[in-house]
Amino acid sequence: MKAKKLPRISVHGLTGCAGELLVILENLEKMLPYVQIASFPFAQSKNDDGPVDIAFVEGSVSQPHDLEKLKSIRNKCKWLVAVGNCAVWGCVQKGVCSRFSVEEMRADVYGEESTISVMPASAISDHVTVDVKLSGCPIDATQLLAVAASLLKDHLPYITHKPVCLECKLRENACVLIEQNLPCLGPVTAGGCGALCPTAGAACYGCWGPCESPQMDAMALILSEKGFKLNEVITRLQTFGAPAELFTRLEKMA
Amino acid sequence: MENKERKIIEIPEITRVEGHSAVVVDLIDGRVDAVKLDVFEGTRFFEKIVVGHKYYEIPHITSRVCAICSTGHVIAAIRAIENAIGMPSNNRVEDLRELMHLGMIIESHATHLYALALPDYVGAQDLMDFASRFPREFQNWSQLRKLGSSIQTLIGGRAFHPINLQVGGFSRYPSAAELAALLPELESHEQMAIDLCEMLLMFEPKFRRTTAPVFVALIPESPHYGYFGNRVRSTEGWEAPIGEYQSYLSEVVPAYSHAKRSTFGGESFMVGSLARLNLFGDRLTGSARDIFALSPIAAADSNTAWNNLGQAIEIVQAIDRCMELIGKIGSEGEVNVSKPSLKLTPSGHGVGAVECPRGTLYHSYLFDSEGSIIGADMVTPSAQNTARIEQDIREVVESNGTETELLQSKLETLVRAYDPCNTCATHMVQLNYINTETR
Repeated sequence: MKAKKLPRISVHGLTGCAGELLVILENLEKMLPYVQIASFPFAQSKNDDGPVDIAFVEGSVSQPHDLEKLKSIRNKCKWLVAVGNCAVWGCVQKGVCSRFSVEEMRADVYGEESTISVMPASAISDHVTVDVKLSGCPIDATQLLAVAASLLKDHLPYITHKPVCLECKLRENACVLIEQNLPCLGPVTAGGCGALCPTAGAACYGCWGPCESPQMDAMALILSEKGFKLNEVITRLQTFGAPAELFTRLEKMA
Repeated sequence: MENKERKIIEIPEITRVEGHSAVVVDLIDGRVDAVKLDVFEGTRFFEKIVVGHKYYEIPHITSRVCAICSTGHVIAAIRAIENAIGMPSNNRVEDLRELMHLGMIIESHATHLYALALPDYVGAQDLMDFASRFPREFQNWSQLRKLGSSIQTLIGGRAFHPINLQVGGFSRYPSAAELAALLPELESHEQMAIDLCEMLLMFEPKFRRTTAPVFVALIPESPHYGYFGNRVRSTEGWEAPIGEYQSYLSEVVPAYSHAKRSTFGGESFMVGSLARLNLFGDRLTGSARDIFALSPIAAADSNTAWNNLGQAIEIVQAIDRCMELIGKIGSEGEVNVSKPSLKLTPSGHGVGAVECPRGTLYHSYLFDSEGSIIGADMVTPSAQNTARIEQDIREVVESNGTETELLQSKLETLVRAYDPCNTCATHMVQLNYINTETR
């Protein structure tokens, strides 16, 4: 009997910590019956660069090589899924660009004479059309499999970006921001993690990126009322790559 | 010049490693002229990313250097910060950090051995080919990985980028009952790790470097085979406190390239499992001790390929030690533990180091008077190994002939045996070089 031709997927890493590649590798067993892995250089040596149904892309665009690679991936896939905070928002390597220029960082880190090519880190949707944005640091495996299953049926998955607070309330946690005065970023951070940090009694530090319509200025106001310095609060809010336009009102306050 | 035959062997992207790197070997008349391990992972400037952040934010930022060894980066950062505070250590906190670290060792080593390295040994083209032809080994990987991941999830809050580990202690302490629930899994998985050692013992290395490297590792601060310490030792009998790392790890610019490399007193060296076992193999216990005693490593065979066996032996040892630690915590019962605090005042300078799966990892921070970072440095294992990887490539090419096709696969296997982590390697000051121009 001739084997049925399976949909083809590819998994690529740009600049990041390889966390999403690891999550995908660890969940391959669940995907393998339904897809053919055309390309996954992290996990296999024999890779085929032909067209694919779904391309999963991890990492930010942080060098010209990333951009070339991203464009070539986009040209060969039907659905492009940005996986992880780096791909969706730019993560910590983008957050730092709000404080230092890349030229300054290169000189400090690699020496004044360094000529390595650098560019400010950016989310992949700044450069190409992205069909699905699946944030997380790392991504949630259940969400990943749900996205893959939907796309295999040519159906765009619906991913919510409700704040961490919503999940925290559902878990009936005491609020660490109000009751313990911890610098919790739950009100402005996308949930999906299940409110991990506040559930453990710690402050959310924003690793999944901003939630829908985040009120950065209100968040900063609350934290400064609690005694945190405004410039420190802004640095904290920008750590995981939240876009600059969310901070325009706040910059005026600072 | 025109009489000379010039040949370049190029591996444009080493697959099945963490991050992105390439190898270029330049041969003139069959002799190696230059070797370059080119890491072309994008820069992320972690030393600048942490600047301006409060000390309590640092562990959660530095974990993002690398997913597979995020626990190591978190603990190295915490140790550096606590050293700057001059914080007394708490036994329960230390035990749980060690347990967490061992979870990472199990998960990282298992992933490297089964998913990335083993396909080379059994001649599998890729992971899928490997999974279908060696279902039992593939299952064992899955089981061991899950074991490492459940230890880290229980203690750290998630499998990587842990949220519970803080400066001063844990946000949430696991109960003795939760820890004891790991015991059956630990017991039942030890045999898988022993089988893995036995399988790796059977593979005769396909290549051979011709000189033995200098090995360097942290001296474990407690008497057992451990991964935390404040001093390093080399196989040449040399010792130094980690606070002086900038003086003993120096950068050189080799004549063949303008790439900067980390060296130990001007010489290349090797860190990682093979280094730890060479220096502290006498501290192993149980089955790990027995396997080690029979291994080529104990017989002073320093072939790079045995680094894989070394990792497997460390999985066996880690499982043993995890059971011991859980037993210890259970028998001690409730104890006073420290809670994380946002009101600490690290000042001046602090250095911390751990033995990550791939070798010694240093974090170093400079604080202002309010506990914010004004300067930082990280030296990763992969950066320390780079000069030795290049030397190995040179030796293997010179002693194995230059038949391109065969050589290429040998060199890939060689580089992979180091388990290089290029996502880590791009994040240190001074010691790394990234060249996108040559691509």
